[in-house]
This record gives sequence, structure tokens and C-alpha cells, in this order.
Amino acid sequence: MTLFETVLGDSDNYFSIFNTAIIFIYMSKLVDELKQDIQYQHGMNACLNCGICTAVCPAAEVYDYSPREVMNICQTEDEEWLIDLLKSDKIWFCGQCYSCKPRCPRGNSTADVILALRRLSVRHGYFAESEKGRQQLFAKRVFGENMLKRGYTLTAENITPEHFPELGENWEYYFEHMKEMREWWDVPMDKENSAGSHRIIPEKDMDELRKIYKATGAMELMEAVEKGMEKKLGSKKEVEKFWDNWVETADSRNYEMKH
Amino acid sequence: MNNNVIVIGGGPAGLAAAGKLQDFGLDVVLVEKQPHIGGHLNKWYKVFPDFTDASEITANLTAGLGKTRILTNTNVTSIEGSAPNFLVTTSTGEKINASAILVSTGYKHFDATLKEEYGYGIYDNCITSVELDMMLKEKNVKTRDGKIPKKVAMIHCVGSRDEKVNNNYCSRVCCTNAIKVAIEVKEQNPDCQIFCLYMDIRVFGRGYEELYRTSQETHGIQFLRGRLSEASEKMDGSLLLRLEDTLTAKPMRLSVDLMVLMVGMEGNSELASVADLKLGCDRFYATAHQQYSNNHSHREGIFLGGAATGPKAIMESITDGRSAAAEIASFVAKNQRIINNGQVPSLV
Repeated sequence: MTLFETVLGDSDNYFSIFNTAIIFIYMSKLVDELKQDIQYQHGMNACLNCGICTAVCPAAEVYDYSPREVMNICQTEDEEWLIDLLKSDKIWFCGQCYSCKPRCPRGNSTADVILALRRLSVRHGYFAESEKGRQQLFAKRVFGENMLKRGYTLTAENITPEHFPELGENWEYYFEHMKEMREWWDVPMDKENSAGSHRIIPEKDMDELRKIYKATGAMELMEAVEKGMEKKLGSKKEVEKFWDNWVETADSRNYEMKH
Repeated sequence: MNNNVIVIGGGPAGLAAAGKLQDFGLDVVLVEKQPHIGGHLNKWYKVFPDFTDASEITANLTAGLGKTRILTNTNVTSIEGSAPNFLVTTSTGEKINASAILVSTGYKHFDATLKEEYGYGIYDNCITSVELDMMLKEKNVKTRDGKIPKKVAMIHCVGSRDEKVNNNYCSRVCCTNAIKVAIEVKEQNPDCQIFCLYMDIRVFGRGYEELYRTSQETHGIQFLRGRLSEASEKMDGSLLLRLEDTLTAKPMRLSVDLMVLMVGMEGNSELASVADLKLGCDRFYATAHQQYSNNHSHREGIFLGGAATGPKAIMESITDGRSAAAEIASFVAKNQRIINNGQVPSLV
């Protein structure tokens, strides 16, 4: 008799509620996958729900987000709650400040657990179910592709005055005269091994970086973002519409979701 | 061998043990490093759960000491020989023969300055539970600028159950003590609102749960389930506390005039090298067996009692001291029987 049969066989006695829990754990794949993530292993010991992380968390002050709740859901290993979490905005509110880590009396680190959850959410396409999650497309196409092309997450050219009106006239002037001004400062644009974020990194080093991205699974995650968006929005064309809308309006909420 | 037993440490466990040992007919020398016997009892006002005066307990135990020889302001500097023929040297240079030794050196309080985010030693109105008891004793619970506090917070688990300060254990008594002092503050200042910030309420002894219930029913003490993350001082000297009320899942800020840190216990391991004793991973002395040899150290003839082997309430320390006394009396009697019968004492 397998463990599974044993559990099912007992399902009508009064322990059935516990057996149900056992079935969930036994059948669960997401939780097992989460536990494979080394950052999850490092970040999650046992949570005693003291709330010190939520009390110190800057995101918890302004968003519907509680690091303690995240830890508690992970600790229950309840597959349905975990899926709800992966589909929600919540895991994207964390700003990775790591204030929670030095406070936890049990040595947990919610910020690390969050990163493991984000990867899981992307891998399974759940990220596309939430508004904050869908912003992964911009992260992938801006930071991700910048990294692969130039070895930098963000370049001055990405900071368009239309998207960042709050930066004002000075930035507008710089944006238009970037090339010239950087010459004055001796940090010219697009020069190999020059200083600053607009330098060109030698192809040999870029090759190494891409290999690291491939070996660590970062490439795979970036592909999963495109695929997940396509699945959610219905077609590649629709993904481009979503992207264009954001480039134009800088606010993902301006794209109307069909479902 | 002789009839001498040396008790090191004159707190409740040592006093209780010395009293019983001399009742058993042994010659007891009590060595206390402080100028007075009584240990931490000298710092407390009243003791939970029944509000017995700490001084009454000291007086009772002292009255039972009988012929015990008391050496105050004295430390043990070396222990030579082996059971049942120890030679103990004190800081005054005296050498004393002993057939058995009791280590009842108790504990020290957690140094609250290590939890810097709570601001002890930085903010005027952040005090420890030890300081609060002295204020209660003088019936003078005030803020630093002499005002009667309108809101007081008791912070549980300071230096306990906290990996960040390397104290993973529970200090056991702080919950009930927090409830006791909360009631006392409320009785002395009836207009005061009191909040206990706890993770779990661990009121385990006889009468403790009843005290907890009374504190809520009769005195209106409020309990917030959440660990304090940090405190900051406002212009008027009051303190802003950040915590999550985990039962309603709301991050909250709480302003109080006075914050009391319920400091936990830490092992007093001063004698570890002198007496060649082992420490547990909690840095209290390790016993020979946690279940059935709880007053035995790993060394034959050296016994342990009271909070030296882990956090204990006063009553538990007294009981444990007397339990150690029974172990010592039986050890001495057994060795005397062996000698009288002309047998070689076993070292096992």
C-alpha cells in the first residue's frame, strides 16, 4: 500500500482533515519547487508570526502587503494559498530593502523568500495574473535586455523626459545634449572601457555575462516572462500593444485587460 | 573526608540549599560575592503570582540558615582535589576542605543596550524591568522629567527567544513578571493605560494564568500580539513604537510615555573554568542529565542548583536548591558509609 492509498483509505475517519493536509503536501509540486530554491532555503527557517518584519517594512506601510503574511502562507505549505499569492500583486510590492532580515528573531529573510516566490511566479506564468506582476515585461525588456546587450541595467537613454517629467528641464536639456555633455566630463558615450554607465563592455566580457545568465536560469526566466504575457494576453501582437501602451503612457494600468 | 559542604552563591537557591544542608547535619559555608546575601531578591519589590514581598522571602530563607557560615564579598578562586576531598580557595586567601560543592550562582540580566533599536541607554524613557521594580518599591513610577506616565508599554522577550542576540531560549519568568508589574503600575497610577507587547504569553505556574486573567478583567491591561521592531523618541520625550498587531494583521504605531524592557536571563558562567564545568549551548551550566540528574554537574561531587542551570522563577529556584541539598546529603552519606565500611569510594 502506498502512502497515497493509506491516506485516501483513512479519509472517512475523524482525522480526515489532517489527511487532506497530507494529500496536499504529498501531491504538491509548487511547494516542492519552492523548497528547491536556495534563496528560499536560506530565507525560511520557522516563522513564529511575531510581526517584527511587517512592523519594520516600509512597503507594508503603504501597500496591502505584509511580509509576515507571505512567510505564514509559505509555512503552511498550502498549495491553493500559495497559488493565490503567486497570482497576486503582493509579492511585487517588496522593495528589497532587507529591513526584515536583521530584525527577525528566527533568522528568516522575507526579502529572500520574496525573490524565490517571484521566480516561481514567473516560471509558472502566474505573474501575468496581477497588474504589478505584468510589469515584469517592462523589467525584462528594459533591465533584462540592457544587461544582455550592454552589461548595464539602466542607461541614461532609458530615462526619457516623457516618462520622468518630475526630473524637469535640466534633465530634458541633458537628455538632448547627452553626447556633447559627456565629452565635457570626459565620460564619453559608447567608448570601450571608458568610465560610466554608457561605456561599451568588450564582447569577450559580454559573452561571459551571457553565459552566466544562461547557466543561472536568468535567460529562461526572461523567456518565461514573454511567454507568460503572450498566454495571458492572447497573442504576441497583444503583448506588443501592452508594451507600446506603456512606452507611450508610462502606466501599465492604461492597458485594458480583456479578462 | 569531612562534613563540609560549600555553597557558592547566596541567592534563593543557595540560601534554600544551605538551610536544608545544615538541617541534615552538614557544616555549610555559604560564599557570596556581593556584600549581602539574597541575590536578585534584593532588587525585587514583590514577587509573582501572589505579590509576596521579596524581603519576606529573603528573611524566611535567612532564618533557616542556622549555623551556616556566611562569607560575603568573597569569590571562589580555585577548586583543587576531587570528590569527596575538595580544597576550595577563596578570594580572601582562605582554604576550605569540602566533601561536596553546590554551584548556585544564578544568572545575570540581558544587557538591553544590545537591542539598539529599542534605545535603552539612548532614550530617557526606556527602562528595564529591574529599574521599574525599584520605582515600584519607592512608589515613584515617573518619566524622566518627573511626570506620571499616561501610557506605558511592557516589551516582552527582550534578550530572549532572539537569534539576533544569540539567546534562543525563553527566559520563562518575564511574561508573568510583565503582568505583575503591569498590575502594580496600574494600582499606583490608576489613570495609566498599559500595553503588553508579547509573542506568546507563557504563564505556566500555579496561579500565573489566574494572574493573567485578573490583569485583563480587573485592571484592564491590554495585550498586543506583536514583537516591537523599533522605537523612536519624540520631541517631548515620549516614545513611538512600531509593531504589527498580528491578530488583526495591522502594522501600527503606538505612542507611550514610558517603555519597560522585560530583560531576560543569561547564564552566569564565571565559575566554568574554576570549577571545570560544562556549559549548554544556552550558556547556562550543563547538568549530567536533563531529566533525572538535574542537580548533578559532569563532575562528581559538584552539584548545581537554581537559575545556574536555566531560567527559573523564585519559587522554582528555592525548590531546586532544596532538591540539590537532598542530592548532596545523599552523596555525603553514601561516601561516609563507604569509608566506615572500609571500601574504596567509586568514582562513577
